[in-house]
Amino acid sequence: MNSMNEILKEVMAISGEFSVKEVTARESIIFVETSRLNAILEILKRKGFSHLSLITGVDRIEDGVFEVFYTLFRWETGEALLVKSSVSRDAPVITTVMHLWPTARFYERDVHEFFGIVFDGNPDLKPLILENWKEIPPMRKDFDPQKYSNEHFPDRHYGSEFLVEGGGENE
Amino acid sequence: MSKEVKLFLGPNHPGMHGNSSVHLYVEGDTVVRARLVPGFLHRGFEKLMERRGWMQNLALIPRICVPEPDINEAVYAMAVEALSGTEVPERAQWIRMIILELARIASHLMALGGVGGSTGLYTISHWTLADRDRILDIFEKITGARIYHMYIVPGGVRKDLPEGIESEIVEFLDYIESRSDEFENLLLKNRIIRTRTEGLALLTREEALEIGVTGVGLRATGLPYDIRKIDPYAKYDSVVFDVPTATEGDAFARFTLKYYEMKQSIRILRQVIEKMPEGPVNAKISSGSALRWRVPEGTVYTHIESSRGEYGYFVVSDGGEKPYRINVRGASFPQGLYGVERLLAGTRIEDVALWLTTMDFCPPEIDR
Repeated sequence: MNSMNEILKEVMAISGEFSVKEVTARESIIFVETSRLNAILEILKRKGFSHLSLITGVDRIEDGVFEVFYTLFRWETGEALLVKSSVSRDAPVITTVMHLWPTARFYERDVHEFFGIVFDGNPDLKPLILENWKEIPPMRKDFDPQKYSNEHFPDRHYGSEFLVEGGGENE
Repeated sequence: MSKEVKLFLGPNHPGMHGNSSVHLYVEGDTVVRARLVPGFLHRGFEKLMERRGWMQNLALIPRICVPEPDINEAVYAMAVEALSGTEVPERAQWIRMIILELARIASHLMALGGVGGSTGLYTISHWTLADRDRILDIFEKITGARIYHMYIVPGGVRKDLPEGIESEIVEFLDYIESRSDEFENLLLKNRIIRTRTEGLALLTREEALEIGVTGVGLRATGLPYDIRKIDPYAKYDSVVFDVPTATEGDAFARFTLKYYEMKQSIRILRQVIEKMPEGPVNAKISSGSALRWRVPEGTVYTHIESSRGEYGYFVVSDGGEKPYRINVRGASFPQGLYGVERLLAGTRIEDVALWLTTMDFCPPEIDR
């Protein structure tokens, strides 16, 4: 039994059961409902998973949900824990974790921009990377980059009129 | 009555590594507030990767981080191997360490050159970039390319090392060690650099942990946290090396640590060349042509210690020929976005470029 399982047992004793799936010897995924997410993350942070590596989204379009993954890391033992939660695609709202990890503000902003997931309580969900984006959030599976590219950057024919200077008929 | 003025640093600026802009609100010469405006290098890699095969993505991933491309290949390969349960041949693990450590030296040399550039001492950047070029020569002999190698592939490495490259690497290591006195005089004992960097860009241990700074930034606050030691990958558990730390937490401590890390990398490389066994260098992820490989369904997060800190890939597979979702965790995301807003205030304008350089700030991995 490793220390990760012990910690997860302690967390379960406080917050109730959740499912655990081992990925590798040093990495596990737990699935937590949105309503219990903040409480469990808070306990995990206190129990040593204090480093937030990443917040990321996954679009499960067939299931009609967005999955949100919080990647936590424990420096003392080198174990990683992926905390997974899912929200419906129609009303994707989840509570912010800014009060636990201030950098989450930007990870959440990034996920908001690319998936449209709203992080309730995050005051700073302005666009981060994209500029003048008017389509649906681009990392969603129903966004078609090929179509977007054809519409906005159509193929152009470069005829001889583009070669007037330096290489035209004067030379 | 003081007046606040808005000043744009970048997107093109000699103190900027790649294109990114910092909006500074200054009073006199001192920064009052600052905000990073990223996005100039957004190339949509994560979306593009969902449309290409597992092996085809190798053409994209090194380009996510310009100064140290090999970490992308390694961490992506590790993720695919973890999902498919592939056992990487031992020789390939050792070859990966050669590539990763040479890349670390190259990246650190470039970062030290950045310190020279930001302090106006261009001799340093000329020297370090000239030495980095020797590493690129070695890379060219091993992989055929100088910057983007596409050499570390899922399952191992693309092909075995060319004959006689070991002696050339040792020759390079001897050369770079022979330069250490000169580098120390030029960098670490240099009065100008010490005056400019000591006490600059202070980062306390509490701030570093709270913000999530990893790598040299965290180690400069006294914590010996290095993923090569804490969560060893490749064969880092079979070589002996130290993790240099400092307690000052300032700009000088951070780039001094880089210099000492280069010495540790040299130490690792010498051991690798001695211990490396013979044998095969790649294994198949699944049957059939590499363009049609399927990777079993699953989710994994892998990370390695880059020259700037924790560099991670979050990879989801639905069992198909293409990744379902990939997210890149750039090492400079926390200090680049949150750190700039939180900590840059109080810095003088002329020190902002130095602040960004020594905080290990790399826009391409933030924008992706």
